Amino acid sequence: MTVQSSTRPEVAPGHRRGGSTPPTEPQRSKGVLGRLDIKYSPYLYIAPFFVVFGIFGLWPLIYTLRMSLYDWDLGSTVETAKFVGFDNFAMFLGDSDFWNSVVNTIAMFLMSTIPQLILALILANALNKRLRGRTLLRMGVLIPNITSVAAVSIVFTQLYNRDFGLINWVLGLFGVDAIDWTARSWSSWVAISSMVDWRWTGYNALIFLAAMQSIPRDIYESASIDGASGWRQFWTMTVPMLRPTIIFVTIISTIGGLQLYGEPLLFTGGGNPLLGGSDRQSQTVTMFLMEQFYMKFELGRAATVAWLLFILIMIFSIINFLFTRSLRSADGKVKQKKGASR
Amino acid sequence: MTATAVRTGTTPAPAPKRRRRKGGGAAERLWQASPLTYVTLLAAVALSMFPLYYMFVIATRTNDAIGQTPPPVTPGGEIGGNVDRLLGNESAAFMTGLVNSAIVATVVTVFVVFFSSLAGFAFAKLRFKGRNGMMLAILITMMVPTQLGIVPLYQMMYEWDLHNKLPSIILPFLVSGFGVFMMRQYASQAVPDELIEAARMDGCSTFRTYWNVVLPGLRPAIAVLGLFTFMEQWNSFLWPQIALGDPTNPTVQLSLQRLSQGYYNDYSQVFAGTLLSVVPLLVIFIIFGRQIIGGIMEGAVKA
Amino acid sequence: MSTNMRRRSFAAIALAAAVTLGAAACSSEEPGTGTTEQITLNVDVFGNFGYEELYKQYMAEHPNVKIVERGTGSQLDAHNQQLTQRLAAGAGAGDIVALEEGVIISYLDKANLFTDLGEYGAKDLAGNFIPWKFQQGTTADGKILGLGTDVGSMAMCYRTDLFKKAGLPTDRAAVSALWPTWDDYIKTGQTFKSKVKDAGFIDAVTNTYNTILMQKAGQGAGYTYFDKSGAMTIDTNPAVKDSYDLAVKILDAGLSAKLQAWTQEWNNGFKQAQFATIACPAWMTGYITEQNGADGKGKWDIAAAPGGGGNWGGSFLAVPKQSKHAKEAAELVKFLTNPAGQTASFKSKGNLPSSPQALADPAVKAAVNEYFSNAPTGDIFAKGALDLKPVYLGAKNAPVRTAVENALRTVEQGTKKSADAWTAAVTDGKKAAQ
Repeated sequence: MTVQSSTRPEVAPGHRRGGSTPPTEPQRSKGVLGRLDIKYSPYLYIAPFFVVFGIFGLWPLIYTLRMSLYDWDLGSTVETAKFVGFDNFAMFLGDSDFWNSVVNTIAMFLMSTIPQLILALILANALNKRLRGRTLLRMGVLIPNITSVAAVSIVFTQLYNRDFGLINWVLGLFGVDAIDWTARSWSSWVAISSMVDWRWTGYNALIFLAAMQSIPRDIYESASIDGASGWRQFWTMTVPMLRPTIIFVTIISTIGGLQLYGEPLLFTGGGNPLLGGSDRQSQTVTMFLMEQFYMKFELGRAATVAWLLFILIMIFSIINFLFTRSLRSADGKVKQKKGASR
Repeated sequence: MTATAVRTGTTPAPAPKRRRRKGGGAAERLWQASPLTYVTLLAAVALSMFPLYYMFVIATRTNDAIGQTPPPVTPGGEIGGNVDRLLGNESAAFMTGLVNSAIVATVVTVFVVFFSSLAGFAFAKLRFKGRNGMMLAILITMMVPTQLGIVPLYQMMYEWDLHNKLPSIILPFLVSGFGVFMMRQYASQAVPDELIEAARMDGCSTFRTYWNVVLPGLRPAIAVLGLFTFMEQWNSFLWPQIALGDPTNPTVQLSLQRLSQGYYNDYSQVFAGTLLSVVPLLVIFIIFGRQIIGGIMEGAVKA
Repeated sequence: MSTNMRRRSFAAIALAAAVTLGAAACSSEEPGTGTTEQITLNVDVFGNFGYEELYKQYMAEHPNVKIVERGTGSQLDAHNQQLTQRLAAGAGAGDIVALEEGVIISYLDKANLFTDLGEYGAKDLAGNFIPWKFQQGTTADGKILGLGTDVGSMAMCYRTDLFKKAGLPTDRAAVSALWPTWDDYIKTGQTFKSKVKDAGFIDAVTNTYNTILMQKAGQGAGYTYFDKSGAMTIDTNPAVKDSYDLAVKILDAGLSAKLQAWTQEWNNGFKQAQFATIACPAWMTGYITEQNGADGKGKWDIAAAPGGGGNWGGSFLAVPKQSKHAKEAAELVKFLTNPAGQTASFKSKGNLPSSPQALADPAVKAAVNEYFSNAPTGDIFAKGALDLKPVYLGAKNAPVRTAVENALRTVEQGTKKSADAWTAAVTDGKKAAQ
């Protein structure tokens, strides 16, 4: 316990989370079995994931990668499809409808994720206080998450109904004309983002809360003594301390956000929901993918879009990672300051 | 013995001068909830509840309520009739859907929690060759869009004669990259290395260490992952829609879809179905929610 | 429907076991114990084809055949997507699948996915169908992809309550006389709008546009977006631009309630009397009846469509290649689509037959619809179906039509000017045709 007993907050255990934990050295163990256990059991423990994923995830993935290189029509087989190399990829990179779906997806991703994470942090901070009925409050904010995408979309679509929706009615009380939410890009983005936010903010708040709980409170104690205000402590200490969790939550949100499908699909409704409305105003990349499949019967191209989406998610996850990692420097500053103040 | 105890025990007293100036309550104040905190939280809870409340309102009214101006905001008395119509709607097979979803969600949750905590423990606390690479691989698998593999996956299920049967929507989800990642993050922060070492010194095998030491330590995270996995499966839609083509054997979300995308839209029935599809989760949440959230607290003390 | 009564309580009690057994029973094809092989034929439909009685009859006549209908009551989109998936995967599709008009066209150049019903004697049945309907299910090289079930011949449904409010006649003959042409229809609409401010004259312009296009194409070149050689004609066929301009004229006159079809707003529009007229294929009468419910009864009537007849929708039955019982399935298709079968479907669910013999059947011809103020629906729709001139639609018709419809919607929603929207329609249409 020598390390943990240090007074310096930067090496307190709550802070040592994430990938930096050095694994324990294998200790002297009894006999061959013990050595085998220590050496090989980890592989056994992670094997289920790789076996199941290999069968149900990887194989289909490779199959679709292959399809993306072919002019693969409905009813094509490996024998009948024509190999086209990267033509499908090249085609989409020059396709304004594809890029439109990318823009829509990114716009909705940003419009939902940024407020969501900020709100979640604020909520988590509030929930982390000494509260009356805090279990109820915590449960209250998590409730939206147990609702399905279908249920959320059904309810919100009704709330955003042009003629009889509650939201337009309330806006009408303030003299705002009824908004046709599905008709324009910005309004459908707002509506769809609000569904995503509603469903996920509380969830993320609890994830943050769980992490906040593990920050030792004596760190704050010394900071309070230094005269830092609660708000400042939140931004300069809590947030940097939550770095691994923030990275985790942003990456999860990125993966989910860029695959957005159910909400815009059900929100668009009408005769051609996959197009995201009359002007493709809320068509996401996944909807564009499904359009290739269901409306055009171009399986090869659908596979291509799937791979492009995968690449997009990777790019964004890396950007996110680099961005959230910059919190580390803020973290570092706190340390330096702390060091100097001592 | 908890780390917290050690920590507080060894925290040196800060400079007395400062303590005097700021007073002992400086840090205490930080944890006091101001009225603003309550306002924020109550507003958040109200916003969280409202759409569900609205779902309830429409579910208790007649089909005409949806087109009323101003929109209805108080419950009506039609819930019985709406639920009767829902349960009598054979093409939706709502009861079958509820049962199927319960089976699938339960089985998947048990496996995901077990496999994830096991793998998470391995990644967080055991040293082995290729550890970081494999963790990265798992992270990357999370980025794979579900939609990517639908066609080959369906072919596979058909080949194995699993289509239209529940295993087709269970097997692919028995493991979760998210679960492994979450458990690894949690295990590395919540289970002290010292405990593992101690167990090992006592001659515990790695599995016994996992079972006796790590698993109890992961309890809060398990509660959270379990709930989320259950919800995810309960609410899952895309793949079941494809794999379960037999309309008499749906999941609850599929029957909801049949209701809401039916040829003819009976909204009060749709909302009644939506409400009933949420109720089981609400019940689970109310029964276990305290423990889950309490678990988060407890976990914090342990860490 | 009624056979499922037992199942409900059963499922509630017997929980998991019942579910699994139920699934197994539905999908397995057990070899028969008798001398003839026992087979199950799955029929995948959407909406409601009204075939229950026909199945019973057929199963009684063919004891070795068990018929299971799947997808009853589902929406067309869901049905199509599922079919696409199963065709892509090469397995799982029904032995018989329903293909809507727009859908069968898009499968014409993928004929290898379906059994050529011509091989099972369907060629001799041409006389059982209205010629253009039979033609729609046949590929350029003469393969018969599907046999017609119903047609969606057009009339104009209108609300007598709103017409009364606007001081317009409510009698169906007098209303038909109001609008021999679309220009007359627009004038009537303007009169209507000058009296009634809180309702539109039509629900949305797109369906009207499609009706106009089919009429103009039938009277003109005989094709819409593609000529018979498959060349794109969206910007060269005058019928397309004329119809588009007429649709824009309707919008400019402010007649549209801007309720996009199949949305929640649209469904509300029926209940809230938000529009006075709607382009009305035969099957739409069923939709209105259910959507508007009991309090709409007697408030609707049916008049002739302006500019002559038209067609919207109607379906075919086809047998996917993957079916293991192609012969038996083809026999069932022939049975369900023969004139007697079509008459039965009309009697059950109001689906207008595509067979001249069935259309001439007194049961169809003399039918009146109580909900629509006792309008003689059989007569009104049958006339439209027989008068219709065939229009050739290319395999990529659906995406191009969607592009033009969407362009009109942007005009309707006020997000684009009509000229810009037309340019977009042509560009997107050409792209969709690739």
